[in-house]
Amino acid sequence: MAMQKNKMICPKCGAEMNHHADKLVDPVRPEDMKHVNPALSGVVEEMHYCPRCGAVASRHAD
Amino acid sequence: MTNNRPLSIPVILGTTRKGRMSEHAARFITRQIEKRDGVKTELIDISKLPMPVDDAGDGIKDPAFSEKMVMADALVIVTPEYNHSFPGLLKHVLDSCLKEYIHKAAGIVGVSAGPFGGVRAIQDFLPVMRELGLVNIFWDVNFGSVSKVFDESGKLLDEAFVSRADKFLNELIWMAKTLRYGRDNIALDS
Repeated sequence: MAMQKNKMICPKCGAEMNHHADKLVDPVRPEDMKHVNPALSGVVEEMHYCPRCGAVASRHAD
Repeated sequence: MTNNRPLSIPVILGTTRKGRMSEHAARFITRQIEKRDGVKTELIDISKLPMPVDDAGDGIKDPAFSEKMVMADALVIVTPEYNHSFPGLLKHVLDSCLKEYIHKAAGIVGVSAGPFGGVRAIQDFLPVMRELGLVNIFWDVNFGSVSKVFDESGKLLDEAFVSRADKFLNELIWMAKTLRYGRDNIALDS
């Protein structure tokens, strides 16, 4: 089971969002490099979805 | 929690070429979606989007296009086949978003002047969609020899495409509902 982190709050409506995916993305900017997971060779982005209004949000998993 | 908003299924017209026959296919599919209860749609013409070519990825993200992708539950991507693949500008547009697509359904409509209905473009598109986080359905619509399918005004000349589009949309809507339920209710660590 993944480590539970704080729930993201929907930037549009304030509801708790559902963390439904992790996506490995390539670092494309210099500032992305500090977020690279060396074991996975990329940046892991958490993907969150708002069940109330349908908004999406993401954040670095580290 | 599962919300009751209507499903949003925009249709992306993936070519900017003058005289494109894909526009007829895109308008036909949009009309077929409009007949469905509980589903809203709109045609997004990539030639109308402000997409500079001096940068790429989220560096050229258009807020209006991004918001449409956020609210989408599924996408229909209408792509012609140019030189055995899909148009580069279509990928340039799609690459401007990422989080907007994750765990959303997608179906591809292929269009070609020749008989194969864009199958090579579609095959090329599948790994791109996968990397964008879209979930592709197993139905396509293939408009081969497209000048025989629509007249110059866009009138459909082959009614078989009504039932083909119907099957395609049935599957796309099922997948859209299923993935919305998952995004709403199923946590990654549950």
